[in-house]
Amino acid sequence: MGNPVMQFQMISKKPDETARFYSELFGWTIDADNPMGYRRIDTGSREGIQGGIWPAPPQAPDFVQLFVAVGDVQASVQQAEGLGAKLLIPPTLLPEGDEMAVMHDPAGMSFAIWRRA
Amino acid sequence: MIFANPGSTVGYIPISRGASQCPALRSKSIAVAVRRGYDYIRMQGQQFRTRLQEELDTRSENNPRYSLRAFAAFLGTDHSTLSQILRGKRRAPAAQIRQWSKKLGLDSEEAAAYIAAEYVPDTATTERENQLRHWTAEAMAIVTEPAHWEIVRLSRTPHFQTDCRWIAQEIGVTVDQVNLAFNRLLRLRLMETGAEGAWIDLTNPPALTEKEFRRAALARVREKAAESRTKKRRIT
Repeated sequence: MGNPVMQFQMISKKPDETARFYSELFGWTIDADNPMGYRRIDTGSREGIQGGIWPAPPQAPDFVQLFVAVGDVQASVQQAEGLGAKLLIPPTLLPEGDEMAVMHDPAGMSFAIWRRA
Repeated sequence: MIFANPGSTVGYIPISRGASQCPALRSKSIAVAVRRGYDYIRMQGQQFRTRLQEELDTRSENNPRYSLRAFAAFLGTDHSTLSQILRGKRRAPAAQIRQWSKKLGLDSEEAAAYIAAEYVPDTATTERENQLRHWTAEAMAIVTEPAHWEIVRLSRTPHFQTDCRWIAQEIGVTVDQVNLAFNRLLRLRLMETGAEGAWIDLTNPPALTEKEFRRAALARVREKAAESRTKKRRIT
């Protein structure tokens, strides 16, 4: 199965403006009609990966985060911690059944470990 | 989907910060030149003393009898001061960097970059400042944004729905505000999710008031900040 990058996520202090910009620029469809009110990006192509937009806290920089698929989120978190990563959001079940955790790699870069429902 | 990091601000310090603290860089042309050409010096953490040491090493290689005293005399300072600067025991003042740069044949733009580098905090200081900013922001958000408490309060009610749109409507804030607050509650381990995505309030006691919640949440911020410092020490 491997551990593919499943999704990108833009963390933006101005999520609506970000959504507007990219949808106008690339014709992406952005839909927030889901229990988290999460702005899901449909790039309109089967190539590449799909994404999403999440609001950034005021003190945070805007950045892009990658979601890597794993079979066991808890085990991957432990493995990552053993390699020097820092856990930010513990394994969390989302309303639609996905499970994810957010970590900082040893260089301080944020990434998500994700298991699809 | 979802969940950003907690607002790490780790990274690049804008040149303007160093420049604003540094009288030598108030000249617009020099500041522009620094941004344009010599930013790498600052980004690599290279200091003027490294440049001095390189120069001394080169001269010593070319002339094995060349001494620290000779180099100090060339620069127009005493060998004790120069020795302390080379060993990092004291910082070279801006005026001296400018004067010595001329003697070393560096142009004014490069001198300005070295002066700026002296005013940029080192990596450890920057990291400490970032951590302080981050945890202060977390604490302020808990104090000033009622959405945190409202989510916890609602989660204890029988009609609670794990739908951010519903929560936003119930408490009169935007969905983004709900998500940011929920994200923070997860980070601070004040909430977690359970089977089928249920939101579980981890605060105590069960009959929590808003004031008690804030107190517990702020205590958790302090714990997490302390934990983060301990982990950092363990890694480094």
